[in-house]
Amino acid sequence: MKRSHLIAIAIIAVAIAALIGSLSDSSTYADLDEALANPGREYHVVGVLDRSQDIVYEPSVNASLTEFTMQDLQGRRCRVKLAKAKPQDFERSERLVLIGEATEGGEFHATDMLMKCPSKYNEQNQVGV
Amino acid sequence: MTYSGEHTWAGQLGHLLTVLSFTGALLAAAGFGLATGRHDERWRGVGRTGFLLHAASVLGIVTVLFTMLFNHWFEYDYVWKHSNLQMPLRYILSCFWEGQEGSFLLWTFWHVCIGLVLIRRAGTWEAPVMTVVSLVQLFLASMLLGVHVGDVRIGSSPFLLVRELPENIGLPWTRLEDYLSRIPQFADGRGLNPLLQNYWMVLHPPTLFLGFAATLVPFAYAVAGLWRREPQAWIAPALPWTFFGVMVLGTGILMGGAWAYEALSFGGFWAWDPVENASLVPWLTLVAAGHLMLVNRNRPTSLFTTLLLTLVTFHLVLYSTFLTRSGVLGDTSVHSFTGDGMMPGLTLFMLFFVWLAVVMLHKDRGQRRFYTLIAVALLTIGVALGQPVPAILLFLAVSAVWTYTAQRLAFPQPEKEEAVWSREFWIFIGALVLLLSAAQITFSTSVPVLNLLLEPFQAPLSSLADTLDSDLLRRAARARMAPPTEAIAHFNKWQLPFAFIVSLLSAFAQYLRYRSTDMRRFRRAIALSFVVSLVLTAVGTVLLKYRAAELNLILVLFATTFSAAANLDLIRTAFKGRLTNAGPSVAHVGFALVLLGALVSTSRQHEVSRNTQGMDLRFLNQEFSNSTDILLYRGDTVRMGEFYVHYAAKRPEGVNLRYVTEYFRPVPATYAVGDTVKVGDMLFRCRAPHEASTAFLEDQPARWTPIEEFPRRALWRAKPWSAARPGEHLFTLEPFVQLNPRFGNVAEPSTKHWPHRDLYTHVRYADLAADEAEDSAGVHYMPPRLYEKEIGDTIVTPTCLILIDSLRTVRDSVTLRMLGPEFLVYALRMRVRDLYDQERWFEASPVIIYRDGAPVAGKGFEVDPLRVKFELATVNGERVGLNVFEREFVVMQAIVFPGINILWTGCILMVVGTFMAVRRRLRNRTGTS
Repeated sequence: MKRSHLIAIAIIAVAIAALIGSLSDSSTYADLDEALANPGREYHVVGVLDRSQDIVYEPSVNASLTEFTMQDLQGRRCRVKLAKAKPQDFERSERLVLIGEATEGGEFHATDMLMKCPSKYNEQNQVGV
Repeated sequence: MTYSGEHTWAGQLGHLLTVLSFTGALLAAAGFGLATGRHDERWRGVGRTGFLLHAASVLGIVTVLFTMLFNHWFEYDYVWKHSNLQMPLRYILSCFWEGQEGSFLLWTFWHVCIGLVLIRRAGTWEAPVMTVVSLVQLFLASMLLGVHVGDVRIGSSPFLLVRELPENIGLPWTRLEDYLSRIPQFADGRGLNPLLQNYWMVLHPPTLFLGFAATLVPFAYAVAGLWRREPQAWIAPALPWTFFGVMVLGTGILMGGAWAYEALSFGGFWAWDPVENASLVPWLTLVAAGHLMLVNRNRPTSLFTTLLLTLVTFHLVLYSTFLTRSGVLGDTSVHSFTGDGMMPGLTLFMLFFVWLAVVMLHKDRGQRRFYTLIAVALLTIGVALGQPVPAILLFLAVSAVWTYTAQRLAFPQPEKEEAVWSREFWIFIGALVLLLSAAQITFSTSVPVLNLLLEPFQAPLSSLADTLDSDLLRRAARARMAPPTEAIAHFNKWQLPFAFIVSLLSAFAQYLRYRSTDMRRFRRAIALSFVVSLVLTAVGTVLLKYRAAELNLILVLFATTFSAAANLDLIRTAFKGRLTNAGPSVAHVGFALVLLGALVSTSRQHEVSRNTQGMDLRFLNQEFSNSTDILLYRGDTVRMGEFYVHYAAKRPEGVNLRYVTEYFRPVPATYAVGDTVKVGDMLFRCRAPHEASTAFLEDQPARWTPIEEFPRRALWRAKPWSAARPGEHLFTLEPFVQLNPRFGNVAEPSTKHWPHRDLYTHVRYADLAADEAEDSAGVHYMPPRLYEKEIGDTIVTPTCLILIDSLRTVRDSVTLRMLGPEFLVYALRMRVRDLYDQERWFEASPVIIYRDGAPVAGKGFEVDPLRVKFELATVNGERVGLNVFEREFVVMQAIVFPGINILWTGCILMVVGTFMAVRRRLRNRTGTS
């Protein structure tokens, strides 16, 4: 076997390993139903902040804990504990992606959160209306 | 109807110019293409005319857009969305490229500049190279057209009026002649996203886009070389451009890192964000391609790989554009654009140039035609059946097969393989490793794209998953994969081995000779750097406290120091200290230092703002950590890492609210005779004046006498023993929040720089009101919380427990006698304790004054040790309203980055070295030709 073949095989092997590695390290998007049905498994849940419920952030108790209620795209609500300080302008957020796991008790414990703020097109639609 | 106050001529001119730029590019592509195909000089003239028309139009578009921005013509959507009146002039530049259209324009502009240089300098290569450039410009120009062909919109124009936007057409206000003056929203634009109002944002995008633009040149030369069946001759003229691209793209990427580090609160210089990755990947392959070009320019040992890497680099630039602009990243990145229907156009853009590259790789006309036919047929059928994704996948598979056959047919393998100990062999290996590194980053960044591609195959995949019982396949079948949660850990894990190999190769490959090497000489030459770097690694391992389990880090530490040392030594020995020729070595030293700095600062970054107060989060969930944020009450001085930090003041400055934090050096506490301290539940009195040691138990027998009996109150009042106290003032940091009601507020960091490390701090949470609620003692409080309770009730606030004992109407006070009979004074008696300290109670009695049934004044009551203040807000029989104020505070994150300056030094060396190398190449070329 020629050396170039060995190199080619090695390259392909590493590339496949990298592909599988990316896939197996990847997380899953899910709705709250699925996340709550599988407590302890990690998910990305997309949803919105439920503004009718309290947002509790008590830095003097713990500066890295925020509690709020989120509603997923199916409309299901769930109380969330986020292990982060309350982001600036959280109340204005338009869309949330929570990363974490549900607990047996039916809460969602998020270790991280991505937040999209309102897009400006909506404001513009109201121009002059 | 004519609208008053509009400057419609600008938009019309802009539209006209976009159409002209498209036409010009079309003419140029046709002219240069025919000039190449028919070897006809006259067609080249047509091409040049077309390109000049295109260039003039693009400059015109840029001018018109700038004019609109400078004059604040807010009737234009682009101007309204991206600028406002208050903005400093320099940010007009940032506004220009903040939006999708403007950044396309910036990219187009650089291509125009490069194209003009190529027309002057490329000589015989002009026609084929410019054909490729013009084709790219054709696609880019179409992105700005904004015309509708049937239902399909091609591109999006920056010259649209707000009233012409699809979502606004037909709205009542668009029929008002004087809508610009009538509707207040048009008086000012929305302004620039505050994140982008930063000088880095003025520099970073143009640099990055110039880097992207530069990758077009080697691509165009490679295609030209294949087209003219000179698969090797194109390398020499393309080389300086390639390394120019390496330099500029590299600078752009690192500027992005510096921007993130200096101005964004991401907590570091590199977060493996999809958008960052999308710019890094083409750089990696460009570096690989450039090195292979160096090897193959004279002796074709790996010509096919060289071509492939050069072609793929530009494809990756297009893919990067697709990722960031099509909206496919959606929820996964913080700074991608939203799609706005760009996906089909961008996909076509990408596929066209994949086709072009593969077609050119084949020498045989029949093969070229056959492949083109299949490609067109597949995509047409796919679109016609409404199944574009399988069609695209099939097309890519066919392209891969044709690339492979091209390698078999057109690039026969050399009979003899190159020697193992030759420079070309190891550079080849290095290029492949860089390609793999790029591939890994691409895979993990492309998870959202993968979902798109997997979607049509859900059914077969899930049955396959069931038969194989594979969890991985089952997840793939659902096509709802999310990016790795621990992105940074994921990428670091995979990239560390690649970094190790690449550093090692960049250390020794230059000591090898082309064709074959005398190994004894090689070993002698490299021995010194090897030994030096072994010693340095040992020292570094001790200093950085790397454990045996972190062997991978130690290996990379060695590889990077080895690379830096070996390349430094090369400057000394091979170039005899003459720097003119030493560009590559300087760049290699820089590259090694970038990796070394990244390794040291990332592996030993340390969050000093460890959360030591309050509830332990791990109690809730093991995944939660306490290690990030610190709570600082205004006026308090607390220990943070090796400093004392004191939150002194809140200072508004323009749109920014600065949080002034002072840092002090801890010095040993000194105690005098008679001082009383608390240790646990015991009190001690100082017997002899002394300076505290590190542990109380060391001092206690000789210097402290336990107090046998003391009242409980004494225990509460006594200060706890402490080994240190804040000493000399060291520095002040002012992390700030930029207040922006439109986009949301943005926290920006403040960093203390030392030569060997940085302390990086930013505000996570703070009260955003400017100082107002200052009481007589100069104490600041957060906005109050109101509790309405009855006498005898208990109140639990986040920090305290309050018992409301009684309410007393004051009848005998001096104040009341002075006030007169129409006033009523109430005093509330209550007891308070810390929520977590059951022993220590305080009394408080806030007072309120009523006149004719309405509260008019009051006197709050402050409990200083608990950092709270109470105010009686209302009294209604037995029911009272109590305002509880907490002392003002900020929540801050602080991270120490050791060795980050190694990284920045490396950046500068890398750029300078590459610049030196490019300059030398250009000189040599002009000298010989």
